[in-house]
Amino acid sequence: MESASIAAHGHVDDHHHGPPEAHQSARIDRTILGILLFILSEVMLFGAFFAAYFFLRVVADPASWPPEGIELPVLIAGINTCVLVSSSFTIHYALEAIKHGNHRGLKLGLTTTWLLGATFLFIQINEYIHIGFTPRDGAFGSIFFSLTGLHGAHVFVGLLLLTFANIRAYRGHFGPEQKDHLGVEVPGIYWHFVDIMWIIVFLAVYII
Amino acid sequence: MAVAIRQPGWYRGAIGTIIGAAFGFGLVVALRAISGLDVFQTEQTGYPHVIVPLITAPFGFLIGFGAFDYWFRWAAGKPTVPEDHSGHGATKWQDYFKFNTDHKVIGTQYVVTTLFFFLIGGLLALLMRAELAQPGSQIVAANTFNGLFSTHAVVMIFLFIIPVFAGLANYVLPLMIGAPDMAFPRLNALSFWLLPIAGIIFLSSFLAPGGSFDAGWTGYAPLSTGAPLGQSFFNIGVQFAGASSIATALNFLVTIITMRAPGMNLWRMPLLVWANLSTSLLVVGATPFIAGAQFMVFFDRILGMNFFNFLQGGDVISYQHIFWFYSHPAVYIMMLPGFGIISEIISTHARKPVFGYRLMALALIGIVVLSYSVWAHHMFVAGMFSWLRVPIMITTMLIAVPTGIKVFSWLGTLFYGKIHTYSTAMLFSLAFIVTFTIGGISGVMLGMIPIDIHVSDTYFVVAHIHFVLFGGSVFTIFAGIYHWFPKMTGRMYDERLGRVHFWGTVIGTWGTFIPMHWVGMDGMPRRVADYASQYGDWNLVISIFAFILGAVQLVFLYNMIVSWRFGPKAGNNPWRANSIEWQVTSPPPVFNFDEIPRVVGGPYEYGTPGARHAIMGGEELEVPEPKPTTVTAPS
Repeated sequence: MESASIAAHGHVDDHHHGPPEAHQSARIDRTILGILLFILSEVMLFGAFFAAYFFLRVVADPASWPPEGIELPVLIAGINTCVLVSSSFTIHYALEAIKHGNHRGLKLGLTTTWLLGATFLFIQINEYIHIGFTPRDGAFGSIFFSLTGLHGAHVFVGLLLLTFANIRAYRGHFGPEQKDHLGVEVPGIYWHFVDIMWIIVFLAVYII
Repeated sequence: MAVAIRQPGWYRGAIGTIIGAAFGFGLVVALRAISGLDVFQTEQTGYPHVIVPLITAPFGFLIGFGAFDYWFRWAAGKPTVPEDHSGHGATKWQDYFKFNTDHKVIGTQYVVTTLFFFLIGGLLALLMRAELAQPGSQIVAANTFNGLFSTHAVVMIFLFIIPVFAGLANYVLPLMIGAPDMAFPRLNALSFWLLPIAGIIFLSSFLAPGGSFDAGWTGYAPLSTGAPLGQSFFNIGVQFAGASSIATALNFLVTIITMRAPGMNLWRMPLLVWANLSTSLLVVGATPFIAGAQFMVFFDRILGMNFFNFLQGGDVISYQHIFWFYSHPAVYIMMLPGFGIISEIISTHARKPVFGYRLMALALIGIVVLSYSVWAHHMFVAGMFSWLRVPIMITTMLIAVPTGIKVFSWLGTLFYGKIHTYSTAMLFSLAFIVTFTIGGISGVMLGMIPIDIHVSDTYFVVAHIHFVLFGGSVFTIFAGIYHWFPKMTGRMYDERLGRVHFWGTVIGTWGTFIPMHWVGMDGMPRRVADYASQYGDWNLVISIFAFILGAVQLVFLYNMIVSWRFGPKAGNNPWRANSIEWQVTSPPPVFNFDEIPRVVGGPYEYGTPGARHAIMGGEELEVPEPKPTTVTAPS
């Protein structure tokens, strides 16, 4: 069974003098710490766009926000939020399943998560098509499409990661040991981030 | 040939570049055809046929070059090839031109590449100084001059100072903490190869219609949103350089946190490790903001969005807030690793422990925290919220406290030390303390609102930034390169030439940048190709010293290149330093250690008989020359 970690743990074989195994000086796995730090920088990227959002909305102080004649489809976006939030639970289920060696549950959870993520993206693209304004329509259009689009791009990347995890899951590659299911856990952490970030985007753009 | 094309490397990289560019071009053509636009623009506005290939071609190159081979295999669910270490380490010079995963090779690649860009950035500066030697217009047109100073700054910041520190740390940091390599060796190699790509993008903007980007390295909107094509090259290049530095910082953080040798707790880490820990925190947290700012400008330029278009409800000042929220922490990204280097060198060559070691480490963290709260001092005259001015002035003053702690601790380390100045590295470190303190003091002056309003956009600002970036960062870079040159190459550089370089650099720096304070106080504006004739005399002096400064760098290059090839063998530990990287051979073995060393004490226990920092694997067999072999228990 393959190690699912993408980090180069020294695979020492008999024919070759490899590096010594590094001393593990922290309890956290380095791949997990890596993805957490990556998420930190992603949060800051969203932070830059949120800063722009509040500058355009609060500091520039437009007459109305959203501009006259623009109605955001809050209901559809709300349903979409439910879709994405439920996918967080399904990926958690997948991870718990593989921790107990349940490969069927893993496959079920990962596939459901993938389908829910794809549904979210599909609904969002559909929303873009029918929303009635474009990124060129004033500052509101710019920041609306930038924030939701930035998030959509993250959903897309998350879906890619989930695709890889699915491929490996169906090949029976993961196992109950932590080092054997990092390939589920790491995309899972990323997926939770994408999910939480959507809730913030949804609250900022659609609700308040 | 056919084999060469299938193997990762330059052939496949070149083909990948072409395919990537063709893919981007085809994408634009196809999308325009689908959406009913003219396939080619009749009136050139956004230049999508240039911009999109400019983004896709680098990815094509990286894929062809082999950067993603392992990850692609993994993604496709194929069994990963057990690490055969074939892409690791260098036995011949060609190995330095490959996708190499050895942190020592990557460190060398970084340092050599960035020194190349240092040379280019310096030549751009000398062109400016030639133009400014006399009032009036002599060598370059005013527009070209704008391009020159913008590219000079961008090349020096994004392609020299930030990455050269990453390079030096890449080389020595895993050795210092007793790790066999960085945490993510492939990501490490990828971050290096993003760098020359960013450099090529920045420099090729000179070929773009309308000239290179010329809105300053700050690229303020709306100046940048309405600028010619070259500005888009800046927007894209920054993304590559930024991704490179975020990936490196992430790698450093994970390496430092999870891969320290047994016994190396936080308070036994050398200060260079502390410095890179804090720098990496800044990079991971702040760099996304410049990525965001440049994305917004890019969207405004290419997609017709309205982030900074006032008439459409955009907010112009928001660019500066978002930009400086990165770019002020960025000046600490450019300085903190240098602080670490200086601490190592001063302690080693004064033969004394670093004075106030824990406070030195905490001061670094203090700077990290404070540096997020001072961005708006770049905007006192920008028309931002007036209530923000005084709080920002106070935080700006506050940041002088941790910085002052560092300066006084270096002085405390030197105090009653056995100061050896036989090494050029130590000379540069001592000069650094002086020039950096002057630059720091002019920084405090600029932090005061009334003075800032008076000297805003004058040569006083130029003088300040060059005192802290040249007299500060670049001096520490020189110090670091001289200090670790014997470790990296296994050979000793020529101290005589080092001294010529040192004195030339110090005299050149002071001669160039001290008079800039005076003309700045008198009101000479920066970023202008011409100036009033009353500043002519001083500018001639500045230009002469600038050319001296430029010329002595050739001595440095000659010294480095010739010594690398023909210098005398350096030995493992020419400076009799304690930290772990000096306990291995020069250059270190390909996997750093046969056995991970055990850390038994602090890193700077100079002058304490029998004190040890680390015990190397199998070392009991050897008898180290200058020190007794007894081992003290960790206190």
